[in-house]
Amino acid sequence: MTSVQPKLSTDARSANDPVFIGVGEIPSGRYPNRTFIGDLVEVASRALADSGLHHDEIDTILLIPCLHSFSDQADLIFSRLVEELGLSKAAKSNFMVHSGGSTSDNAVRIAAGLIASGHARNVLVLQAERWGSADLTEMVTMLTMNGIPKEWEQPSGITFNAIGALITQRYMAESGSTPEDMASVCVAFRKWANLNPNAMYRDKTLTIEEILASKLVSDPIRAKECPMLADGAAAFVMTAAENAKRKSDSWVRIAGSGGCVSHYSLGQEIEAGKLGWKIAADRAYEHSSWGAKDADFAQIYDSYAAVTTIGAEGLGLCPPGEAARWFRSGATSPGGAFPMNTNGGLLSAGHTGVGGGLALLIEGVRQLLGRAEKPRQIEQARRGIIGGSGGSYMDAQVLLLERIEKGDVQ
Amino acid sequence: MSDIVKTFQSGLADGKLLIQSCNACKNKMLYPRHRCTKCHANDLGWVEASGKGTLHSYTVVRAIPPAGFEGELPYGLGIVKLEEGVQLMARLKPGASGDWSQYACDAAVAFARPSPGPGDDRAVAWFKLA
Ligand SMILES: [Zn+2]
Repeated sequence: MTSVQPKLSTDARSANDPVFIGVGEIPSGRYPNRTFIGDLVEVASRALADSGLHHDEIDTILLIPCLHSFSDQADLIFSRLVEELGLSKAAKSNFMVHSGGSTSDNAVRIAAGLIASGHARNVLVLQAERWGSADLTEMVTMLTMNGIPKEWEQPSGITFNAIGALITQRYMAESGSTPEDMASVCVAFRKWANLNPNAMYRDKTLTIEEILASKLVSDPIRAKECPMLADGAAAFVMTAAENAKRKSDSWVRIAGSGGCVSHYSLGQEIEAGKLGWKIAADRAYEHSSWGAKDADFAQIYDSYAAVTTIGAEGLGLCPPGEAARWFRSGATSPGGAFPMNTNGGLLSAGHTGVGGGLALLIEGVRQLLGRAEKPRQIEQARRGIIGGSGGSYMDAQVLLLERIEKGDVQ
Repeated sequence: MSDIVKTFQSGLADGKLLIQSCNACKNKMLYPRHRCTKCHANDLGWVEASGKGTLHSYTVVRAIPPAGFEGELPYGLGIVKLEEGVQLMARLKPGASGDWSQYACDAAVAFARPSPGPGDDRAVAWFKLA
């Protein structure tokens, strides 16, 4: 079997090159007084303002699901946002895409395809989650019942923390990383969260000692290494480059992407310490004109530390087996040579369900647009890598994003 | 419940770990599938696993279990690679020390009877250190 990767149909000079022009977000955490639809409308409005678009210029709404309620999700599928945003008759289509934590990466591919092919002009992508205000036991059970094979793995009593633990255990065995090394990854994320006004843990510091003193939840993972379920919402707007030029002096394009779906059941993953990252990364770099060495930062899905260290190694950002020690050295922390998960990641910005990947994605876009709050903004950020993963880390999705300035393409 | 699930689960209830085998190309599959994952034939049979394998990874669930598993805490779980070239998610019996501290990635393990107690009748394969 041979596979030839298709090439992008547009380049930076193409009028229909699909590009990001704005993002919107509200703080993550526990906000019992906020509402699901209210949060969605708020982030839509913020993303539109950031884009310089009037709301009635949106022709396509692409929804990323929530996990806290099937009925709230049904409202989205059946176009509630079109009415709420005043887009009745103006909107051409409203639909949902879903691949768990990697949904935002796949949503980008879909929005890009619609724009490049002329099926859409301005696409609004958005998500809100109410996990922080939901009942924890109910959500843990819901997650166990959805996405863990009911015939083969549910009878074992596996949980999502156990899935993270199985991956971590294998990664630690293969890399020789210590519990301190793994904890340092969480600490690095927390330092970024302390600079992000939208992060759940913006006001709380974290140390390796505190992590190692917290209770074992699922060996080797301790309580303070588990993501905290959060309320949150985020949105972004994509359009065609010719339209971006009229609104702004800079925008963000997709230089290439790659993906690999490696399993459905974690029990079927043949390399739990590697997953699909190397394959996805190789595909992305082949698809693009640049690679790991050219990137200024990365935002990689991090519902557990090992998920990110495995991603960083697969992407070639550090030598194989070295990622946890690389994090511990401070290389990815504020002031480090290669910033990673600059919003604080899911572990410190908050796990907003399917939105955790979206928050990382829009943080990458925000950095490339130069619109992050001052102490967090990466100087001269031109190229960023986004990595997502869904389900039981069933896939690795890689987007290579680059900043384009009007002067570059005229 | 489909026939392949029934056959697999009744095998477990009888103390047997069954692996599906494609009659066309001899491909071995676990968990069982509706068609062969190699040649897509649907003429599929069963063989009994030797029960020998290695532990790819493992964990001990100590808190926040799914509903219905509260009475079983703590419990060991692992991904087992069988010598037949297939793999599965399994429960791990405590070792001689009464806990899971003797387990390690790539340790030799063997298919075993469930530890008596709540949940010992679930349709899950149990393994112990070999
Ligand atoms: Zn076959």
